[in-house]
Amino acid sequence: MFPRILAISALLLLAACTRGETGLEGTLLFRDAPLAGAEVEIYLKGEKDRSTNPFAGTVTDEAGRFRVELPPGRYFLIGKMRQESASGSRMLMAECPANPLEVTGGMRKVPPFSLREMGRDGALVPDPGTGVRGRVTRQGAPVAGAFIYVYTEGGAGLMGPSYGEAVQADERGEFQIDLPAGRYFLAARKRSDGARMGEPSVGDLNGVYPGNPVTLARGEMSLLGAFPLAPVDAQERQARLDAGRFAPTGTAFTGEAVDADGRPVAGVYVFAYLDSRMVGKPSFISVPTGSDGRFSLHLADGGTYYVGARSTFGGPLEPGEWVGTYDGRPDHRAEVPRGEVRSLGPIVVREVW
Amino acid sequence: MKTFAPLALLVALLLFPNPGRGESLSSDTVWEGRVTPAGSVRVEPGATLTVRAGAVVTFAAGGLEVAGRLVAEKALFTGKDWQGIVLKGCDEETLLREVRIEGARTGLLVTGGAPRLLGLTLAGNGTGMELRQKTAAEVADSLFSRNGRVGLFVKDDALPRIDGNRFEHNGKFGAYIHRSTPASFRGNRFRGNPTGLAVSNFGSDPRIEGNLFEENELGILVDRAARPVISGNRLEGNGTGLRLYRRSDAQVEGNRFGGTGVAVSVAYSSYPRIAGNDFAGPGQALFLEFQSARWEADRGAAAREEEVAARGAFGGAPRTQVTEEERRASGLDGTVDARGNWWGEAGTAELRRIGPRGNPSFIHDGRDAPTFTEGGKSYPLDTVRFAPWSETPLTAGKARPAP
Repeated sequence: MFPRILAISALLLLAACTRGETGLEGTLLFRDAPLAGAEVEIYLKGEKDRSTNPFAGTVTDEAGRFRVELPPGRYFLIGKMRQESASGSRMLMAECPANPLEVTGGMRKVPPFSLREMGRDGALVPDPGTGVRGRVTRQGAPVAGAFIYVYTEGGAGLMGPSYGEAVQADERGEFQIDLPAGRYFLAARKRSDGARMGEPSVGDLNGVYPGNPVTLARGEMSLLGAFPLAPVDAQERQARLDAGRFAPTGTAFTGEAVDADGRPVAGVYVFAYLDSRMVGKPSFISVPTGSDGRFSLHLADGGTYYVGARSTFGGPLEPGEWVGTYDGRPDHRAEVPRGEVRSLGPIVVREVW
Repeated sequence: MKTFAPLALLVALLLFPNPGRGESLSSDTVWEGRVTPAGSVRVEPGATLTVRAGAVVTFAAGGLEVAGRLVAEKALFTGKDWQGIVLKGCDEETLLREVRIEGARTGLLVTGGAPRLLGLTLAGNGTGMELRQKTAAEVADSLFSRNGRVGLFVKDDALPRIDGNRFEHNGKFGAYIHRSTPASFRGNRFRGNPTGLAVSNFGSDPRIEGNLFEENELGILVDRAARPVISGNRLEGNGTGLRLYRRSDAQVEGNRFGGTGVAVSVAYSSYPRIAGNDFAGPGQALFLEFQSARWEADRGAAAREEEVAARGAFGGAPRTQVTEEERRASGLDGTVDARGNWWGEAGTAELRRIGPRGNPSFIHDGRDAPTFTEGGKSYPLDTVRFAPWSETPLTAGKARPAP
């Protein structure tokens, strides 16, 4: 009964509120490929507050695309799909990273996002006797203590915290990672300061498994053999940065990080989030500001972003950090059309103690 | 350098008199005389950079990153707004002795490892030295002077030994311990800083022992649920000697407080144990403000929830670094325990006169200001339990003076 009332309410709202077509459209992915037949659910509440049936829903077409007509408002979108196979069933699911989504006029385009295979607590749950085994080496010699990362998708250069699993090699450089059946991308790093995470520095050991992707059947323990690492080279690192997230795209925010007295602040990163909550990993990040405080934040596409600035990234605020937000709007929101560079003016940062 | 190879060093000297931009040192190298790198220099793992006595290393840009070893004695590292020296996971074979580092954003950044840093001078940097990532560095007999922000920062569960150093006239803090518990922190001397020493955040439980704090605006700040043991220190002539703020339940024992300012300030649900101390100065011995068991019960958890430091950088969802259960005060009866101290000659005479139920003039608490107002609501100010007290000084020959 309740879902029916909701549906009727939705129709009434549609009739009453819309002038022309408004709603959401986009594409769901899994392992970099469009995902057909996935469910798209639209909620009025986010995360744990979501206790009702979906406000609206649809299913992706053969190209993974979806389109939902909605009255203007604020929505939370999730994608999910249960897949059945001879080896059992698995659940794919993800919240749209741009949640909450404001629908104001017209059809809002939601950036594509990938579903992930869910296990207990969202982690990768190994199948019995399934995984990979190998030995991390440098010029043939074992590398003790290196971290090996398992990514479920091959994008972003196998960098960053989106890995599904990570283990540390033993003193002989050997490792074993238990995994569910599937297809994986492996990377390994050993940082000179022993850290598990963080951008590898020049001289740290880094490598991507040459046999990627590794495909595992249920019950298969794949013997990878040697997993060679090499020191991060300064020129290669710079070239990768230039070609990666810091590369000019033609779409960008620019501006200047300043203190409360209007003086430029050096060493500040500027972040762009799709999610208005501005938590977790930002979608785009600038290089640190120089002594003039100026920044260019290159974006993959035009759209609406929530912009903040901070002198470090990752983890909670620490004393001595600089932090601030774009305050052109109270919600720190800024918009830029594709192919344009928009100046945000000064972003005021303050020192936290 | 364990194996001294004169020929190799001579070759290295010829090859690297003035390292260029982005220089990488992958073999043992010696710097001496005037060295002027044009950009960053990195010492690769397995390599040792030796900087000879009298060397003057001037960075026009960049800095020195050491993933191998650095051995430097009586040398000067200088520049204008250069990056400073970074020691990444360097073991105890890395030794800096009587080295001066100046003009850098962070003079010396140590991540991991256990380098020995002895008799250094860190002056005129943005931050003098920063110790991170569980480093077990030894920092001794060094001077941290006139650095723009902090003389010494200790972060990220670092476990260093910080002994016998001087912290003078730094811009904000002489030393700042954040979520770390140094293995040793004793015999240091803090003078003329806005705040001599800050110990901040849950998980910072060091022993601050046998140090001297003099003529700072604030000698020691304990904040955000840090729980150090503050023992055997001398605090003389500070504006405020010790400030316990925001759920900071320090143990304060065997210290000597002198001077005309406030000896110990207690605020926002801090319930220390203050015993065995001498309050020798003529100023206010204990000062309570915004300190109320009722406020803690009504507002404490919500106030902590609102704290910026526990949330995402831009005000988003809280992060679960420390649970409210860990920070919550329990068993509160509206009193702060300060039994068993010596309250000075005049204070002791006053106590004899007014007795244990009196209202000592040297303690400001709920007997003097029964309530305070916050958010339009009135809360009772806690009172101090000061009896029984000692009739004689307790720290004579115990509160160890700094060197």
